[in-house]
Amino acid sequence: MFTRNLRVFFRRYSQTCTFRTSELSPAQHSENQIGMFYTIDKNLCKQLFGHGGLPKSYMKQTKTFTETTLMVRLPALDIMNCIKNTDFDKPVVRYVLYGEKGSGKSLTMAHLLHYAHEQEFLIVHVPWVSEWLRRVPRHKEMANSPTREGFVDLPLDAAAWLLHFKTQNQTLLKNPDLKISKEYTWSKRESTAEGAPLLELVELGIARVKYACDVIDALVYEIKLLSNNKRCKTFVAIDGFNTFFYPLTRLRTPTKRTVAPEEVSLTTSFLTLTKNDWTNGVVVVTADQLAVPEDHQESYLPKYLLYKKGFEHLDPFVPIEVGRYSEREFLTCASYYRDRLWLRGPSELEDELKFTSACNPYKFMELCAPL
Amino acid sequence: MNNIRIALREVIPNRLRTTSRNQWPNLTQTRFYARATSFPDYFQNPIFRKEDQAKLIENNELSKLAAIPVKPPAACETSSVYYDPLVNKVINHVMKMGNKQLARSLVEKAFENIKRKQIERYHLASTPEEKAKILLNPKDVLHRAVENCKPLLQLLPIKRGGITYQVPGPITEKRSLFLAVKWLLDASNDKERTVHFPEQFAWELLDAANNTGKVVKRKQDLHRQCEANRAYAHYRWQ
Repeated sequence: MFTRNLRVFFRRYSQTCTFRTSELSPAQHSENQIGMFYTIDKNLCKQLFGHGGLPKSYMKQTKTFTETTLMVRLPALDIMNCIKNTDFDKPVVRYVLYGEKGSGKSLTMAHLLHYAHEQEFLIVHVPWVSEWLRRVPRHKEMANSPTREGFVDLPLDAAAWLLHFKTQNQTLLKNPDLKISKEYTWSKRESTAEGAPLLELVELGIARVKYACDVIDALVYEIKLLSNNKRCKTFVAIDGFNTFFYPLTRLRTPTKRTVAPEEVSLTTSFLTLTKNDWTNGVVVVTADQLAVPEDHQESYLPKYLLYKKGFEHLDPFVPIEVGRYSEREFLTCASYYRDRLWLRGPSELEDELKFTSACNPYKFMELCAPL
Repeated sequence: MNNIRIALREVIPNRLRTTSRNQWPNLTQTRFYARATSFPDYFQNPIFRKEDQAKLIENNELSKLAAIPVKPPAACETSSVYYDPLVNKVINHVMKMGNKQLARSLVEKAFENIKRKQIERYHLASTPEEKAKILLNPKDVLHRAVENCKPLLQLLPIKRGGITYQVPGPITEKRSLFLAVKWLLDASNDKERTVHFPEQFAWELLDAANNTGKVVKRKQDLHRQCEANRAYAHYRWQ
């Protein structure tokens, strides 16, 4: 009896010690920390993910757990290693994260964003493409593009994104090196002069919502130019990238005509950013089943999700699979949940949960909820 | 379809059937009955919990049961660590038109809500004594809530001399459990249209576990009524 108690005690102790890592900087994470959780500072979290970036269900968890933690997992480490060894004079390398539903693609991306922020990359992050193309609230602001014939603008979404961009790169945008290469004329009275800081362009887009889409277009062009000239290095992260290639969006013009994704001006801007005709940058995108409607969710592999068009657009890219939890990751996650009071009860519960959730991270979280 | 299945069952041997029907073996129990079955009286209820089985073995009662026919356990009656008969009972009370999946998801959502609220309270509490008082396990909350809602007496309508009297009397354990669960559900269904059931149910359970709220008041009202009608108590036997 005594030895058993002792054994249980030691197991508890080792669990409490090993599920958390004190290494808060993602650049320092290594294979030793796989499966462990690290905490993101609250203010930084607000800055990086204040306008989206973490899934909604995860935001709920962070509120209950009173902290934002991420698990260090192999896919993120792999990409970080690749970035460290990249020659930035060569054209950008594109990484595609793929995996089953709920396996943690978005959270892997969050981890990478934290890394990019720390390495002082200029972050161009789209939290969820479907938010623009597939989610249609009652009053979706849409307009025909004044500058480009046959294109549709989403001014409100574009302005919201510009705000997101501005908050994510608060410190970097103050850098006086980031200047505009040419003059942009928006209307008779409004124009942005050559050599004005990049921040001015962004703020104009936020203030004058009408031009937000054109501002994004200009911004993308400028960012590419600046990175080519080694003024800054750029980290592009787009979640749910395959929505750009699904044949239809749920948008409708005022004349009830359905809109294809390539007719939306935002799509064209971000597709030029994912081409590899520029240098000094990193592109990470995800191919997600949840980003497209149910009739196109048969497989989670990028070739199926991106269609031929998207595949050829990204080719050559580095595919990185985000898989289910390994044995070790599952155990640390369970002990983390136990620490946060999310999981309670006898230890046989873990075996059952492992079986029923099939080690899928999201399923596991869901199944723990009523326990 | 069922008839064909039964015909098949007789023709095809057992092993062949499982492979031909489906690519994956069935994980849940499936039974092929032509129609809703009622087992004869001498069929025993199944003993599906490991603890109960261990108790049987300990008391040497297993050999008695070995020769008696036993009903198959229902799909929800499992030997999982998570299984709780009271929770199952509540789920069955929530269920409408046999849609158990929905009922179960609703109750589990309510549990999740309770858990989130209690954890939040736990983090807000400053002293360890306060923290120890908070019930974190939603199942414990449910058990306590039902315990607090169970009435001890009931009123029976009894007709004497052309007048129906509400006569207080004792209540069986089973009926008091039924009333407690029914009242809890009545209270949570009496809500604004915009509030979801799991949310309201969670609030009711938390209130009842705290010995406050609509349901506990209803129980106390019944007790008060019984107390007021005690003069009629003799009608139970006269």
